[in-house]
Order: sequence, then structure tokens, then C-alpha cells
Amino acid sequence: MLNSGADKQTPQDILELMRRIARRDRQAFADLFLLVAPKVKGHLMRLGASPSAAEELAQEVMISIWRKAEMFDETKSAPMTWIFVIARNLRIDSLRRERSATTYGSQPPETEDHVTASPSEVVDAHDRERRISSAMGELSSDQRELIRRSFFEDEPHIAIAASLGLPLGTVKSRIRLALKKLRLCLEDLK
Amino acid sequence: MIGAPQHHPSVETLTAFAAGTQRAGFDFVTAAHVNMCAQCQRHVAALEYVGGAGIAEGAAVEVDAHSLSHALNRLDIPPKAPQPAYSIEDILRKAKRRWVAPGIWVAKVETPHATEDRVYMLGAAPGAVTAKHTHEGPEFTHILSGALQDDGVIYRAGDFSERGSDHMHRPSAYGDEPCICLFATNGPLKAQDFISRLAFMVAGV
Repeated sequence: MLNSGADKQTPQDILELMRRIARRDRQAFADLFLLVAPKVKGHLMRLGASPSAAEELAQEVMISIWRKAEMFDETKSAPMTWIFVIARNLRIDSLRRERSATTYGSQPPETEDHVTASPSEVVDAHDRERRISSAMGELSSDQRELIRRSFFEDEPHIAIAASLGLPLGTVKSRIRLALKKLRLCLEDLK
Repeated sequence: MIGAPQHHPSVETLTAFAAGTQRAGFDFVTAAHVNMCAQCQRHVAALEYVGGAGIAEGAAVEVDAHSLSHALNRLDIPPKAPQPAYSIEDILRKAKRRWVAPGIWVAKVETPHATEDRVYMLGAAPGAVTAKHTHEGPEFTHILSGALQDDGVIYRAGDFSERGSDHMHRPSAYGDEPCICLFATNGPLKAQDFISRLAFMVAGV
């Protein structure tokens, strides 16, 4: 069984692995796989995927990372952000593939069109991430948990309320409050 | 070049968009706005960072014992040809326009992934008033060109508006240019008067 140690790794380690993968380094891929695949599988299961579907999709995410590694631009996003976008898009594709061959919606990262952002508008990605990180850090752990569960786990408010044993109104107002804090930080990015 | 949009999706909507948990029809209309709005692109990028942090901080689940060797074996297999991905512009260009009232046409946008969502474009000649209507769920609107007046607010090209359910309104084209907007609703529109109902039904919105 393969266990993850991603929490023991620094983002710098993952960045270094990404650079080596872009140079077609298979050992770096294997190292990243052990770190990241179990995390991606856990993430997909929190979004409602069955263990077998999450396993299969996590595998696809890792293969996609290998294929697209040269397109990863470390000046634009953190490795985990980029991996999140790949996982999100593959998940949307797999959900939609069941119904149709057409795909649309969020653009895959390599074709993302930033034509409307003039150079003066481009916020340094690292600065942005620092700010978002600190905004998330300022939220209480309760608020972070609520945001994560309501948006990144696709769980309706009513289910969250039931599992926390809180009235629905309380959950809704706490989520709103947490989002308000996050929004204040996002407004700074205007 | 149009000015930067003044009306944007809510933080909740942008979060669901960034998370990939939004329903396909609403996702489509949100994407139409985000693709041309630098500010929302920055917000979505920031939320994607939160998503990445969520993966890193979240609990890991063991992968199968053979998972890594299986992946390593696949590295040299060339990828299958990707399915054709249509751009929003392509999809909108294909939508068939039907006149439903003097100065007003609608074009249903096919959303095979979400049959319960209705996505359509509406074109209104200058000054044309749409049928007074309500809807069961939320309504998202993205202005593609021209300007729309709704409840005293003027939405210009690039602007986005979110309406809750059961909100009765009657948007109209504003200014001297035709207005074209993209809508997503949950379920069919419920027009107030019989003729409009008939027109909506014929157009399949």
C-alpha cells in the first residue's frame, strides 16, 4: 500500500519535482505520484466519487500531469493549484462524458485565455497566493471547514447542518461570514 | 473595446465555478463572463489556489498497490485524440434564432450535460421589452452586446446578473443598440401572459 507524505513535503519539494518532470524525469514522476496521488484520490472521494472511480481518476490526473508538465508555468501558479485545476477539469469531463461527447465549460489550463488582462492588471501570482493564504489563515478553523465542505465537497448546506448538529440558519450565516472575509481579501485583487 | 464589467457573479458563484461543482448550464453562462473579465479571472485563480491548498491539506486515501507501476507503464503511451471541445463562441454561433415577439428573438443553446438547465440567448431590438416572467430557480444573465435594463439597473456588455427564484421581472433593451444576452435558468420560464407563454414554448425556453 502506498501512503502519502505530501503533508511532510514543502511546496518547494513539489515544485522541484515538477521541474524535473518537465524534463521527462521518470523518477521525479514516481516521487510526485507517491506524494500527490493519494491526496488527489482523497479529494475526489470528498467530492462524492466512489473509491474505484477516484482511484481511476487520480491515475488520469497523474498521467495528465506528466503529459502537460512542460506547460506548467511556475510564475503563474503554484504546483498544487495547477494540479487542482487538472483534477477539476478531468472530473467535470468524466461526469459529462456519461451524458454527451461535447465538452465545454471551464477552459483547460493550457488554453486559458487571459487576453483581457492587460500587463498592468496582472497581479504577481505569488503575491496573490500569499494574500489568499493569509486570508484563509485568518478564518477560524470552523469557517475554513465550512467553506471547504460547502464548496469543495459539493455538500448542500442542509447536510452540513445535519452532520454538525447546527441549525441550518446558523450554518448559512457562518458560511456567509466566512465568505465575506474571503471576499474582502479578493476585493483587494481588483 | 468595451469597458471593464461593472456587475460580476457573486463570490458563491465564482467559488462553485472554480471548484467545478456548478451545474453545467449555469457553469456555461458563468464561463462566458469569466472568459472576458480580468477581475473574475483573478478571483477564480485565487479560489483555485484555495482548492489546491485543500487537496494538499486534506486527508490522503491510499492508492492501490499497483497504481504507480500501472501509471509508469502508461507514460509512453500516446494520448488518445482529444474529443473536440467547442468554444463558447462556436456553441453560440450554432444556436438557431427564433423570433418570439416583435423585435425579440431567442436561440436555445443545447446543454446535453444538463437537460434540466435551460440556456438560451435572447436578442432584443432597441427599446424592446421582454415578456414579464418568473422562474423556479436562479437565473444567470451575461450581456454579450448592447445593454439591458432590469429593475432600474443597467447591465452593459460583459456584465453579469444573478437573480433568485420567483423573482418576477421584465428586462428590456436599453440604448440604441440591439441587446444580446445569454441566460441560464432552472426549468422553463413562466411567462405571465398567454401569448408570451406560447412564444416561450415554441422557442423551447
